[in-house]
Amino acid sequence: MRPPGAPRAVRDARAAAAAFRVQLLLVRRSVGDLRVLFTVPLYALIFLAIAAVSGDRSLTAYAVLAPGLIALWSMMLFAAGDLITQDRSAGRLEAVVAAPVPLFTVVAARLAAVAAVSLISLAEAWAVARWVFGLRVPLVHPMAFGVGLLATAFAMTGTATAMACAFVLSRSARIFQNSLSYPVYLLGGVLMPVSALPGWLRPASRLVFLTWSGGLLRDSLATPAVADLPGRLLALTALGLAGFAAGGWLMRRILTRVRAAGTLGLA
Amino acid sequence: MRTGTPAWRIVRCSAANAAADLRATYTWRTWLFGWLLRMLCQVVFFTLAGRTFSGAGHQRFLFLGNALTLCAIESMMVVASSAWERRAGTLPLLVAAPADVSWIFVGRSLQWLPSGCATSLAALLGLGPFFGVDWSPATAAVAAVLVAASAVGTYCFGLLLAALVLGASSWRNVASNVAYLGMMAVCGVEVPVGFWPLPVRVLAWSMPLTHELDALRALVDGGGAASVAPQALLGLAVGAAWLAGAVALLRAMADRGRRDGSIAFAI
Repeated sequence: MRPPGAPRAVRDARAAAAAFRVQLLLVRRSVGDLRVLFTVPLYALIFLAIAAVSGDRSLTAYAVLAPGLIALWSMMLFAAGDLITQDRSAGRLEAVVAAPVPLFTVVAARLAAVAAVSLISLAEAWAVARWVFGLRVPLVHPMAFGVGLLATAFAMTGTATAMACAFVLSRSARIFQNSLSYPVYLLGGVLMPVSALPGWLRPASRLVFLTWSGGLLRDSLATPAVADLPGRLLALTALGLAGFAAGGWLMRRILTRVRAAGTLGLA
Repeated sequence: MRTGTPAWRIVRCSAANAAADLRATYTWRTWLFGWLLRMLCQVVFFTLAGRTFSGAGHQRFLFLGNALTLCAIESMMVVASSAWERRAGTLPLLVAAPADVSWIFVGRSLQWLPSGCATSLAALLGLGPFFGVDWSPATAAVAAVLVAASAVGTYCFGLLLAALVLGASSWRNVASNVAYLGMMAVCGVEVPVGFWPLPVRVLAWSMPLTHELDALRALVDGGGAASVAPQALLGLAVGAAWLAGAVALLRAMADRGRRDGSIAFAI
């Protein structure tokens, strides 16, 4: 069913904007959803302390960016797992599914809001470097950093949308949420370059968008020009689109199945 | 109201509940391929970061610190699982029961100790040889005792934190995450305790993990019982002090709740 007079794209865009705003309000009121932001200064403290002990100040960029990437992944992982589950237990899921706007659009927009909030973590890490360790981390290539950050948020939202759909099928999303953290940080070269990994793992790390994000953001803080910026942005965009495509496909399959079985509201 | 029921019987019954919780949380497959793998990746993540930042010299330091910390991380889950009682609505029943509520909570989250010890030992013994730490049967046995002491001592500290958070259960995950990351930062896990200013060092010395980690490093460096045992016992003594504080606080919480009728209310 389509409301009279509103083109489908406009209607979906409005609904997505509303879902984005609603999620911002929900996150603001939930200590649990914001808990990752409480841990970021401690991650920054740990990484910057390790860098300080090493005595190599060129590693500061690694130590400042890693807490931000960890926070982004962690917040999105938990949001992806909890979003549909919480809607289901609150009795909202049936109404959202019955609405003319696709559930996929609503979920993606809400996850984009979480991604936006999680970017606060970068400011936190910068503040720890500046005020605790007295280190300035200048944005040497602000344009590259800005577009890299946007592409990272896009890729994360796509990946999280696919995870949100996959988690619906699992008996306990919590186990996956707890398990998909450090293996991904390791594979994605969040704190150290992927070259530190064994050779046989490196091809797999290319499929993790954090590998591209971490490399690009770190390079945008270094003095040399950022190498192959378009290619790296393309890789991030492609991985994000792959996530959205997987999420969309999974969502259609799941909704067809639960509609037929009448089990939408059942965990 | 406290009756003469021996504390060990209360703890035993509560521990049976804890064991049931663990069985409901994990199957052996999800524990092994989900949880354990994630925790081992955490150790590798920080150890490889140390190798990248500081070279192989800091690698062994980071490996030992992060491997032992795994059991502390799991022990800190006592904060969250204690709060589950309030969220499940069972806290008023526990307070109304004739048994001493403080011992109920002492046993309530014991499931994290065997899981944490197994995780730490798997990391120490399984990954140790890859990071320059070799074990003989004798040193492995002593390491197992130190892991158990770390888990128990940190559990006692976590119990006190659980008592504080019981009235604000939405903060449970923030409290436990901030506490274990704080320990990772200051207790000599990532950098030597001497790196930090005196007030932070004092805080570190109040944590059982700091002393057990000193004992483990002494053991691996070939120190005899004279260098290992005092630190290990100091860690246990600090843990006992936290336990005394936790028991007193839990009793005070129950007494206050009975007086002002606030048992069932939380933030």
